[in-house]
Amino acid sequence: MNWDGLDFTIIGPAFLAGLLVLSTHVPLGKEVLQRGIIFIDLAIAQIAGLGVIAANTLDMELSAWQTYGVAAISAILGALLLHWSEKYWKQDQEALIGVVFVLAATLSILLLANNPHGGEYLQELLTGQILWVSYNQLFYILLLYIPLLIFWFISRNRSHSMSFYICFALAVTASVQLVGVYLVFASLIIPALATNRVKNLQLFYAYLVGIIGYGIGLVTSSLTDLPSGAVIVWSLAITGIGWRWVLTAKG
Amino acid sequence: MNNIEKKLLRAIGLAVLLTLNSVTTLAELNVFACEPEWGSLVQELGGDKVSVFNATTGLQDPHHIQARPSLIAKARRADLLICTGADLEVGWLPLLLRKAGNNNIQPGSSGHVMATNFVTLLDQPISLDRSEGDVHAAGNPHVQMDPYRIAVIAEALGIRLQQIDPDNAEHYQDKSRDFMKRWQAAIQGWQQQLEPLQGMPIVVHHKNWIYLQEWTGLKPVATLEPKAGIPPSADYLSKLITGLKQQPAKIILFAAHQNSRSSKWLAERTNLPLVKLPFTVGGSEKATNLFELFNETVQLLLHASQIETKDDTRNSDGASR
Repeated sequence: MNWDGLDFTIIGPAFLAGLLVLSTHVPLGKEVLQRGIIFIDLAIAQIAGLGVIAANTLDMELSAWQTYGVAAISAILGALLLHWSEKYWKQDQEALIGVVFVLAATLSILLLANNPHGGEYLQELLTGQILWVSYNQLFYILLLYIPLLIFWFISRNRSHSMSFYICFALAVTASVQLVGVYLVFASLIIPALATNRVKNLQLFYAYLVGIIGYGIGLVTSSLTDLPSGAVIVWSLAITGIGWRWVLTAKG
Repeated sequence: MNNIEKKLLRAIGLAVLLTLNSVTTLAELNVFACEPEWGSLVQELGGDKVSVFNATTGLQDPHHIQARPSLIAKARRADLLICTGADLEVGWLPLLLRKAGNNNIQPGSSGHVMATNFVTLLDQPISLDRSEGDVHAAGNPHVQMDPYRIAVIAEALGIRLQQIDPDNAEHYQDKSRDFMKRWQAAIQGWQQQLEPLQGMPIVVHHKNWIYLQEWTGLKPVATLEPKAGIPPSADYLSKLITGLKQQPAKIILFAAHQNSRSSKWLAERTNLPLVKLPFTVGGSEKATNLFELFNETVQLLLHASQIETKDDTRNSDGASR
């Protein structure tokens, strides 16, 4: 046991970051499950990374804001591509997403082949670390997520493919840089998966699973002094399984 | 629901924080060392007056570390921070310092020590052209493999300890003097042992041995992975192997924290002995402090240099025919 890390000023911002990520990812995850395109976040994140790497290869000096802009634009282009492919090859959509992921990932390697910073750079883009977040960063994410959420919940045609893909691209590009690919994937899929049999208030229960998962994960990571991101992924999964188990026991 | 959860957690966090603050110990100087070589050095110079926390182990790559809650907690309570500097920790140290918000160890304060600031660095890029540029614009940061540079850093660090903890200044002075005496004697011993290895050609995995090369006179004839993190191309590897036929090396060096796969691949093709060096304190079971780190490095190098390679016999056969 390590009581040093259990300090709200340390895990507090991380918990808030988790709440923010959950706010958009739980409803998006529900949609992802319905469409059966589980790995879309990996593909979109990789394409966003590819865009930033391409901009760097072209010798553009990017500020933090511009980096997000380039990443978001690439992610949206990737999302439009996937939206288009869903229209024509709906049956093959999941496989195509996989192919897009490996193509984007390997193209990044090829672009970085002559860049001595290569590996580090690639890793930086995909491994945001939840403990390092600052209130400042959270504020910007909030500015992005509030309009996204308003759009998502008010818009009547949110299941319209195009608006889903664009919302998804914007939300994921921001969250990946904040908490990293693993947590983004877990936040999308696990709460939605754990509650997809629930008929009433599914979204509410999915949020609950996510919040409990992040809370337990952060406290456990503090007590055991293990890397927070990985511990939260596991506690999300265990919370999700626990939830399913309670439901089956009841029903 | 969000709000109630948040408030509840804040309350719990606050309660824990209050109980923790009341039991802090004040007896020792809290030191946060980014890498174990500096933790070991502070321990030598501070003895029982310091309590050292190492942020990374000898088997971790200090370029990247996973964020753990204790890192921030320890940085928050540190009186002294010692890191390599020269951009080695650039990926995480600024974030950690910002999160810790501890004025004792912010850049510019006397508790913020970057070891590479006290020594001259090798491999400083002449131009900062991005396409050719080195990973580290400030120069190569891996200075811990040169015992003379360690001595310079120890001197500066001893003075810094006296400044930060003036009540125990005499203690640090004695400790520093004692360390220097033992260190200089040890260097003499290592150099005598390494004398026969002067000019021995080696292959390095990555350019992180230049300080060891400068000190020992080992001569690198090839680098297996010139760009960190990006695998070498097929063309590069084939040139490397033909190059090694014309200009044979004696051993292949790689660091314990690095993946051995590419070095093994080359060793299989060239029949050169592979030497895994600890690279820092904790990089091997025996390298428990700075003295043992160099003892073991010297022993491993000597041992490897005495292995007759099959390639050598083949070459001499070829020559006699």
